[in-house]
Amino acid sequence: MTSREGGPAISDADSAVASHDPAGLPAPSRAPRMRTVLALAKVEASFLVRSLLVVAGLLAGGAVVWVTIGSKEPLWWNVGWRIGAGQLVIGMAVLAAAQLAVGRARRNGMTDLYASFPATAGTRTLAHLVGLAGAAPASLLLIAAADAVVQLRGAIGAPSIAVLVGGLLLVIAAGAAGTAIGTRFPHPMAGVLGALVLFLSSGQSHLPGAAELWLYPWESFSDQLGGLPGPLAGYPPAAPHAVELAGLAALAGVVALAVTVTSTRARGGLAAAGTVAIAVICLAGAVQVRPIPTGDLNQLVNEVADPGSAQRCTTASQVRYCLYPRFGSLLPSLEAPVSEVLALLPARPAQPLTVRQVVYLSLPDSTLTHGHLNRDVSRWTARVQQAPGNATVTPATAIYLPVGNWPAAGGQLADAHFDLALATAEWAVRLLGPSGSLSGGGGMPCVPLNQAREPVAIWLAILATHPPAGELQDGLGVGTTIPAAVVRNTAIRGWDYPGVGGGYVTPPGGGPQTTAAGYLLASAMTRLPQQKVSHILADDWGKWLNWHTTDAQLAAALGIPMPSVSTLPAPANGPEAALCTT
Amino acid sequence: MTLNVCSAAVRADGLSRRYGSTLALDEVDLTLERGITGLLGPNGAGKTTLLSILATVSEPDAGRVSAFGLDPRDGAERVEIRRRLGYLPQELGYYRHFTVAGFLDYVAILKEITDRRRRAEEVARVLAAVGLERRARTRIRALSGGLRQRLGIAQALLGQPDLLILDEPTAGLDPEQRLRFRELLSGLPGDPVIVLSTHQADDIAAICPKVVVLLQGRVRFAGTPAELAATATARVWAGDQRNAGAHLSWRGGDNRWRHIGDQPPPGAEPVTPTVEDGYLLLSQAASEQ
Repeated sequence: MTSREGGPAISDADSAVASHDPAGLPAPSRAPRMRTVLALAKVEASFLVRSLLVVAGLLAGGAVVWVTIGSKEPLWWNVGWRIGAGQLVIGMAVLAAAQLAVGRARRNGMTDLYASFPATAGTRTLAHLVGLAGAAPASLLLIAAADAVVQLRGAIGAPSIAVLVGGLLLVIAAGAAGTAIGTRFPHPMAGVLGALVLFLSSGQSHLPGAAELWLYPWESFSDQLGGLPGPLAGYPPAAPHAVELAGLAALAGVVALAVTVTSTRARGGLAAAGTVAIAVICLAGAVQVRPIPTGDLNQLVNEVADPGSAQRCTTASQVRYCLYPRFGSLLPSLEAPVSEVLALLPARPAQPLTVRQVVYLSLPDSTLTHGHLNRDVSRWTARVQQAPGNATVTPATAIYLPVGNWPAAGGQLADAHFDLALATAEWAVRLLGPSGSLSGGGGMPCVPLNQAREPVAIWLAILATHPPAGELQDGLGVGTTIPAAVVRNTAIRGWDYPGVGGGYVTPPGGGPQTTAAGYLLASAMTRLPQQKVSHILADDWGKWLNWHTTDAQLAAALGIPMPSVSTLPAPANGPEAALCTT
Repeated sequence: MTLNVCSAAVRADGLSRRYGSTLALDEVDLTLERGITGLLGPNGAGKTTLLSILATVSEPDAGRVSAFGLDPRDGAERVEIRRRLGYLPQELGYYRHFTVAGFLDYVAILKEITDRRRRAEEVARVLAAVGLERRARTRIRALSGGLRQRLGIAQALLGQPDLLILDEPTAGLDPEQRLRFRELLSGLPGDPVIVLSTHQADDIAAICPKVVVLLQGRVRFAGTPAELAATATARVWAGDQRNAGAHLSWRGGDNRWRHIGDQPPPGAEPVTPTVEDGYLLLSQAASEQ
């Protein structure tokens, strides 16, 4: 039975009656409409701040950020977008909360009462839109908390204001969309569906596979730019994306208000505002899908394919550490385990060791190379395939560290230290390198089966980093998780060292496949006095490095029994690994 | 039928409203002055439709309304009427998770009372007026039906409206609350125009200087309660036995039968008619037409 529920258009009601009182009654002291909007917005904002939905969204968003950042070194040009993924979750909650707030009167049978108030539907909707400011604290809190965590973990680079503001605008735009939905569909499911659409729209952002993915409300996982050694200027296009989100928020606001106005003038104003918003969205979209400049891609490919051209190298204890410019703070964390291993060595290999950062970059990638000539794309692809990060052959004198994979703290950092120490020890005992690792078929790691140098390398790594014994023991596996390799048609029980799957040192699996026998003998060696072991190793270091010298010989020299290793069932026709023979 | 009053504040001329094939209002003319006017009528008589039109919530299919000289068809004047209006719809929903004071504060903003201090004073005033001051912090979902009805009345009182439209305000109130409500309406400052619909003829008799009876979408009576009661003069009797010839016959609390009809039943004695008797007689007459 309600008609003209919203009353007159937003702009014309107050002014028309400002001094008009035909009945000659004293005009009640009333606030101008904008003050009503602000007062109502303040209340709605306070509801939003205290909304359980929004609080839950904040917690869930925080969890998303926490999980997606993980414990890896926090690169701001990657983390900023991951924070945005958390904002997307908050945005979903704000969308649902805003829809609930706007549809509140209709759901609760208060339409008639509302229709009797001087505050029109337009005033109320405008207040709901302004009240979306109440979602800002949750968004800003997420940014602040993530910033604190990132800084605590040793942030690399600097945050992009455009990316962070984009996340905030995403939340506001989602709220405006919820308001628009709520003005038409008061049922709570409408907000849930809206939130779901928002989630799916971003969750499917990998589908286009080209620059269009920047146009989705938020994209943070489908591009390779987060794993680069620095931000690629202007990409992902954060600033135009923020403008797009602002345009979307404005457009949603216009859609929300459109249902509440009746006057031609107000409708015209809204139509104009909507047109401007659409134009802004289109313009921002066009800017986002522009091809990355050729010069920038050339430089990127160059930095990836030839890291030395961009890296700064430091030599410490005759080891070269080559890091991209922003990663100098990693040096102490890398030096510690390497130096510890070096200090234990009776002698070093003739060829010096280089520890180098590398980048995994997969080309062709239409997101990065769209709009460029096939000839250029082929050239970049060919160059990138030769990059150290993409190479399947590890030099005998280099340890590669993929950018973005080095942990910031905690147990994973300890694992990474162990991995680096083990790689250093493998370099020292000549287990590192192409001729060893690739002597097997299909690029599988070689197996130092019954080679004394393996337990020596493991012993060195254990003494250098002192990992928990239980964690080392876990690497033997149980039941179906027992690591194994097949050599000469015999199943060899393997040993997964701590952090083996972490990708801290590259290429993953490019080093030798460590064996259970090697670990168990190394473990037994750690129970002997260090001086005794060092003395025996130093007495005939060349012998222990020879791949023909067996575990049994080493055990006999140390005066300890050979640890027993349970046998594994005969393998089916699986891939064969080769012996390490360098 | 037009209520002849001086200085009419609210006027309805020829109001008609149809819902599908049902004629809810049929050329209703009405003039309301300051003071309390009771609107009596059975369910489906058109009371709620009439009140919603007076409250500018809905529009008539034909006819026009003016309040304080303002025409609700004009958007700006409609807003001005709403600024002077307090309205309690027949079926009012509530925000169950709001507190009583929070709800009133929210409604006060919708009534454009934006100054925080004034709003707080106004909320406190209406809470005290309906006796809910101790429930200010209570969630609405924890209120009984009667307390919610008092809250509905309280929201209508916000802003000291010049025009107070209450659709069955005493529904759900216990006798003590009804008495308090009568007291409340009688003591409202500023001499507002008050229209209340009710089924309770005794409420009308107790507090309304004027009464309008709406039957089948038409105004059948407008006058004072005494005049309404007087329409049943010499038509009401009390006796010890049921009278099948009477229009209406029912047993009262004193265990005696009360009869409304054209002829006195045997052995019955005439009694002074009440407002309810007058209303029932009108209803009976209308239903026979």
